[in-house]
Amino acid sequence: MKNKTLIIPAILFFFILFILFYLLLIDRKPSELPSVLINKKVPVFKAESLLNDNIFISEKEFKNELTIVNFFATWCKPCLDEHVYLKKLSIGENLKIIGINYKDDPKKAIKWLKELGNPYYDVLVDYDARIGIDWGVYGLPETFIINSKGIIKYRLVGPITEKNYNMFKLKIIEINQ
Amino acid sequence: MMKKYFFSLIVIIILSQFFLLTPHAVEPDEVLENSKLELRARNISKNVRCLVCQNQSIDDSSADLAKDLRVLIRSKVKNGESDQEIYQFLIDRYGDFVLLKPLLKFNTLILWFMPFIFLIIGIFIIYQHHKKSN
Amino acid sequence: MIPFFGNLALWLSLFFASLQFILAYNQNPNLLLRFNNIVNKGLLISILISFFSLMYCHIISDFSVLNVFQNSHTTKPLLYKISGVWGNHEGSMLLWILVLIIFNYFIHKLFNKKNLALLSKALEVQALIIIGFLLFSILTSNPFEIIFPVPSNGLGFNPLLQDPALAIHPPLLYIGYVGFSAAFSLGIASMSVSKKERVNWHSYMKPFVVAAWSFLTLGIALGSIWAYYELGWGGWWFWDPVENASLMPWLLGTALIHSLITVEKKKSLQTWVLLLSILTFLLSVTGTFLVRSGILTSVHTFALDPERGIYILAFIALLGGYSLLLYGLKSKNFLNKNYLSFLSREGLILANNIIMMTVCATVFLGTMYPLLIEAFSNNKISVGEPYFNSTVVPIMIPAILIMGIGPILSWGDKSTKKKLKILSPAIFLTFISTIIFIWLYNSFNLFGIIGIVMSFWIISNIILAQIQHFQKKFNINKIKTNIIPKSSLGMTLAHLGIGLLILGITGSSVWQKEKIVKMNINDETFIHDYKIVFKEVKKNIGPNYIALQGNFLIYTKNNQLIAELKPENRFYPVAQNSTTEASIHTNIFRDLYIVLGDGDINNGWIIRIYYNPLVIWIWIGVVTIFAGGLFSLKKNIGIIKKIPA
Repeated sequence: MKNKTLIIPAILFFFILFILFYLLLIDRKPSELPSVLINKKVPVFKAESLLNDNIFISEKEFKNELTIVNFFATWCKPCLDEHVYLKKLSIGENLKIIGINYKDDPKKAIKWLKELGNPYYDVLVDYDARIGIDWGVYGLPETFIINSKGIIKYRLVGPITEKNYNMFKLKIIEINQ
Repeated sequence: MMKKYFFSLIVIIILSQFFLLTPHAVEPDEVLENSKLELRARNISKNVRCLVCQNQSIDDSSADLAKDLRVLIRSKVKNGESDQEIYQFLIDRYGDFVLLKPLLKFNTLILWFMPFIFLIIGIFIIYQHHKKSN
Repeated sequence: MIPFFGNLALWLSLFFASLQFILAYNQNPNLLLRFNNIVNKGLLISILISFFSLMYCHIISDFSVLNVFQNSHTTKPLLYKISGVWGNHEGSMLLWILVLIIFNYFIHKLFNKKNLALLSKALEVQALIIIGFLLFSILTSNPFEIIFPVPSNGLGFNPLLQDPALAIHPPLLYIGYVGFSAAFSLGIASMSVSKKERVNWHSYMKPFVVAAWSFLTLGIALGSIWAYYELGWGGWWFWDPVENASLMPWLLGTALIHSLITVEKKKSLQTWVLLLSILTFLLSVTGTFLVRSGILTSVHTFALDPERGIYILAFIALLGGYSLLLYGLKSKNFLNKNYLSFLSREGLILANNIIMMTVCATVFLGTMYPLLIEAFSNNKISVGEPYFNSTVVPIMIPAILIMGIGPILSWGDKSTKKKLKILSPAIFLTFISTIIFIWLYNSFNLFGIIGIVMSFWIISNIILAQIQHFQKKFNINKIKTNIIPKSSLGMTLAHLGIGLLILGITGSSVWQKEKIVKMNINDETFIHDYKIVFKEVKKNIGPNYIALQGNFLIYTKNNQLIAELKPENRFYPVAQNSTTEASIHTNIFRDLYIVLGDGDINNGWIIRIYYNPLVIWIWIGVVTIFAGGLFSLKKNIGIIKKIPA
């Protein structure tokens, strides 16, 4: 090896070190996956409604006003915890919340909503996770904000909590503009 | 509260690990009758990442989401969709992350070409040595 | 009381390590030798007290110690209470430090009046490393932290960690990682002292490298063995980031051993030795960083704690920055004009070094790449098994070809084509073996063929070399002298081990058969040439678990009963979770591997059966490599002892 090349390992080392420090110091969520549906149109799907005999057709909905889509199930404890915040949101004007009951027992879900209250404009049934997969859902709960033109603008992975409730509301206002 | 979600997620992850300790995930009732199609489905599954596990493919994991995706892939294979179409379907919903073999794209050029560049540099060094030794 | 003394002993170790560091500046030889003796013994005794204090607390289940509370439980069997000491972040750091100090002691044993400058510098560097780790432990990860009020029992009942292979895996691995610290310290010392003062520097380095590499091989293998029988489908390597973190120092360690041999024989590749001794240890410490910093999530990661990560990274920055800058400035003093001809033993070693570095760099790239993408874009990608199999495996193939040829050539060889005629018997043997395997497994799988060719290429060449030596020894068939140079027992065994390892890897990866079937009691099924009968299901009570055990009878095609396999599903009531224990029947040709899945008496159970060819050769290969390492170690320690003091 020539004399000059002997310094190359040191140079490479500092370069890699810099990258590692950067990775360590930025705010990362190693276990969270960013949604690839942001700024895309709502997926096309049809679903049965939980509480009535209607069939929900996605192309007909998601127009004219901001919509929130919340994936939940009775077997998911954080979904239970966030329910109170969903109810709070549902009292707000100018938005609809659609619930998607993911891989659940419809009877249990109906009972659950009766006991806790129903914040949803409509509740759809996703027996086999197909709707969830179409939305890129990988864990419960997940909540999406869709603007009045039917474009998905934001996804929250995890429950709405005291900590992020205000942030979530602000996001809604931001998207509405 | 956030802690509880992550707790839920971590519980899922940990439980998936224990399901990793339970046998390999494909169940008899999932297996397609046509063994060629089944083999295709297995090979595709081996390249699809289990999103609620650590570094496992859906072929290896017994998590619910893994099973749902396996069933989905098999029905698509039966329907005559190509491997490429099936991968694209998953990427459209979950991003490039869902594939264990990184796609050759602009942002993975370095990943795929560096090993061979390393090799070429190495061969050059060996050649230089050999030349100078004579 | 004991935790207090354990903690005190830890501080005492810090004190002695600091003394060792300061002492290095003392010029008076007699004083240096005598004080070093005292300081070194003090350091060793302190850390032993500290380590065994922690172990004592675990054994008696002293839950006033936070570490015991978090990681132990009264129902854990004794063996796992002991191994639980290092099955957690704080305890494993203490083990790291213990092994560091043990190696420090061995470096100190080499100390004499003739090598004063070199060894005292090495001890100075080693002391600094020890201080760094001690500070990390004491300040951020102290295992002797106390909690009050004292809980009645602990949280440490994870059945996953209660396994013999997993129990011994960390200590072996750490002897590997930490052993390279001695090479690092000696490397820095060699660059820091004058030419006269660093005589024999590489002879001192070699036994440490051989020991470290051998134990690292064994440690990695034990992790794979555990994965094989525990994870339920016969897999043993997953290119998981933490597995990769252990592979990288192993690859560079391999290059380092071969480069040291070349320095011994030809005085060449000295700069390679220096660089590799630095990089191998750096990678060992970086591996530690990856597992503990939260930068990666993996099945293996300990604590998700960026603060600890920053500390370790800063330590790596110091260690690596200083050593590599020193290398940049000083290693030119080690250059010589000896250029290596490709078809000589040393030329092939250089080629092997290049390949090891390339594979290491590739594994590093693949492991780090998702993090890079994440840091610089809002995208996330995966770099999984398929990537590593497509890149690493093809690059390794030339390395293995070289492994066959290398020992055939002599040092300083230049005559090329004549020599290569020697290889024809090996080529022939390899060809025959490949045909046999194609016939045996009835398969023309390309990877299988490549694997068998690689494996028998190495084995054939070794057999040939041994036959020639035998013939020469007993003067059979007067052969021209020195056609195949003599090879050491260590090398022969190590290379043979790799050949066997590849045989096992090929068989188990390429020709595995799997059968997944629902079975009721008295059902039978077939896999390969075997008939499997589901005899019964019964309950089995273990020390801290209740198990559902399936009994399976295995018959050959001649209806001969060869085994009864008893896979279990264990439920641990305290931990509230379950594990699956596969049952395996092994012989030199294949493993038969059964796992009991979900099910019940009415619907039957899902049973998974695997036919895994040649798996045992993986483990036999590793043990052979390790044995080779031990023989080599003995020889190299002998060489040092002959250095005049």
